[in-house]
Amino acid sequence: MESKVSEADFSLMKSDLSFFFEPQSVAVIGSLREGYFGGYVVVKTLLNAGFAGKIYPVNPSYQEVLGLKVYPSIKEIPEKIDLALIMINRRSVPNVMRECATKGIKAVIVVADGFAERDEEGAKLQNEIVEIAREARIRIIGPNTAGIVNSANGLIPDPYEPGYEKVKPGTVAICAQTGMINPQAFPYGDLHYGVSKICDYGNKCDIDECDMLEYLESDPATKVITMYLESVRDGRRFLEISRRVTAKKPVLILKSGRTKEGAKVSASHTGALAVDDQIFSAACKQAGVIRLEKFREVFELPKIFSLQPLPKGNRLGIVTFTGGVGVLAIDEAAKYGLSVARLSPEIAKKLNAIFPGLGKTVVDIGPPMAVNNYMAIYSDILKTVLEDDHMDCLFNVIWTSPFKEFVEEYLKFYGEMQGNYQKTIATWIYGPSIPLVNELSSRLEDLGFPVFSDLEMAIKALGIAYQYSDRKKGEA
Amino acid sequence: MMGKFSIFDQIKKEGRSILTEFESKKLLKQVGIPVVKTRLARTKKEAVLQSQRIGFPVVLKIVSPYVIHKSDPGGVKLNLNNVTEVKTAYSEMIKTISQQYPDAVIHGVSVQKMIRPGTEVIVGTSKDPQFGPVIMFGLGGIFVEVLKDVSFRIVPVSQRDAQEMIEEIKGYPLLQGVRGKESSDIPALVEMILKISNFVEEYPQIKELELNPIFAYRDGAVAVDARIILE
Repeated sequence: MESKVSEADFSLMKSDLSFFFEPQSVAVIGSLREGYFGGYVVVKTLLNAGFAGKIYPVNPSYQEVLGLKVYPSIKEIPEKIDLALIMINRRSVPNVMRECATKGIKAVIVVADGFAERDEEGAKLQNEIVEIAREARIRIIGPNTAGIVNSANGLIPDPYEPGYEKVKPGTVAICAQTGMINPQAFPYGDLHYGVSKICDYGNKCDIDECDMLEYLESDPATKVITMYLESVRDGRRFLEISRRVTAKKPVLILKSGRTKEGAKVSASHTGALAVDDQIFSAACKQAGVIRLEKFREVFELPKIFSLQPLPKGNRLGIVTFTGGVGVLAIDEAAKYGLSVARLSPEIAKKLNAIFPGLGKTVVDIGPPMAVNNYMAIYSDILKTVLEDDHMDCLFNVIWTSPFKEFVEEYLKFYGEMQGNYQKTIATWIYGPSIPLVNELSSRLEDLGFPVFSDLEMAIKALGIAYQYSDRKKGEA
Repeated sequence: MMGKFSIFDQIKKEGRSILTEFESKKLLKQVGIPVVKTRLARTKKEAVLQSQRIGFPVVLKIVSPYVIHKSDPGGVKLNLNNVTEVKTAYSEMIKTISQQYPDAVIHGVSVQKMIRPGTEVIVGTSKDPQFGPVIMFGLGGIFVEVLKDVSFRIVPVSQRDAQEMIEEIKGYPLLQGVRGKESSDIPALVEMILKISNFVEEYPQIKELELNPIFAYRDGAVAVDARIILE
């Protein structure tokens, strides 16, 4: 079947995904039986999240669900529909797609699975729905997806029960080729930094990582983009678009799925030199994309961009309770081109006046803390360090102590710091009490100071922030 | 420009996809890549004449589309210092190759200047199924074969990409000159990478290209061996 939409027309529609993320009306096509998965859950999560648009459940066997009128089919819905979610048996999807086309729907999320990822029949069905969609100028996310989120308008059409109602609005966009990033799998309800958009693009039969990058490029709510990829649909396009996007906002990518095809890349004469992963790495370097290595980093590292200013240089200050941590931090920092800040003479002098020997490269506050009234001088020390213009970013290590009053003191101090220093601060918290560590971490992030799960993660956050900032400077 | 196309057309007409070293170098020279001075000799007499023109010592290499791994079957004779040595080498080479590859079409031998060894580096290109032409840089010999100490970029590369490719390999300090070893002309290597990148970008019919080795010196760099494979 020849598509009637020319490639040129089609590409014009490419980057506008607003029907997906800002729909005025959503049709939910699927089972409405009360349970843990399906249309019922979608309607429920949308209602719980306070979705601002209209919700039209579609199912021939129901009249009403959760107080909403149910329509027997899409064509019975009297009003215009911006977005349809389809979660029905795969063999019924083409027909429903045709109904969506007739209704003039422009955005469809095919949650249903069993397509190209399963078998030949699934692959054929997938081609069929793509054909229908292309002809009708429908854009598709999926199939085989847990869908999308827009935190700003309560669009959380999760087909699985997340167990919480809201995703805190913020500036991090998270995209992946897995439902592991969707609300049912990740505690967005308990996160202390906010998310702008979430997208699981599933099988990427239409909308892929490049479309999302283009959309997020001009999404004012998004300040940083983080992605998990198993494949790249079009390498050249990826390079071109990501290069453009990274000039505006940081793009962080975790990629798996190293293929054997890449081995062919190398010149046969000298043996198999290349694996495709090296090529992807090369593309990331050329595009200014920050490559992640661990799944956890997808959620942790964007915080530094989301919550903190970019460092102006690579000079790293370290404040720690033990010398050992300082040394480990220095080792780690070198990987990213960070170098330990040499305190300016006047700052060193001031620190030495607070406590003899304090004004060193690594500010080890363990000794003075042991002999002084702990918190009384903490604030003085940190403020002094932050005043040093020989430093661009700070790794601050906090020991919570077993006592709650310390937590309150730290919070008071961080509260005073807010907005007063143009330095990038990454914090790592440890101590003998998990509840206190967790409490302080959460509350510091609520104040806008990212806390990282370990020392290496905190340094990496500062490292990639420096590298991004440095590259941007080079291009300006 | 027409010259380059005519080589490509001719190769295609002959039903082959691999350019001989001689053809590859000729093409590379045309796009401004420094290659070691190389002449084609179809007879022993020509080999002697070309050796005298180029100046001793010289290297003889077999020129045949069928002999790819020249070093295997006696297809390379190094360090020939006079006419007698060239004559002997020529006869031996033709004899060995004809015995080992009875069906091989032999264009002749290439006579090359035996140049002073430099730091061996390699530049290659190939095609990735998703990213298209990619370019590789590495130190030659065991560094590339055993240690896989290479860097990649997607074509076309910028000056900065080329610079980063060189700095990225683990053996970079060797290019900067260590333990009394001569340092290498990094800007010359950068330029070579850029020229190769532009070349393969302009000619998508090139499937693979390899300059191996390139001798890098304190002042300049020159490709000693080269090969190009077409789609």
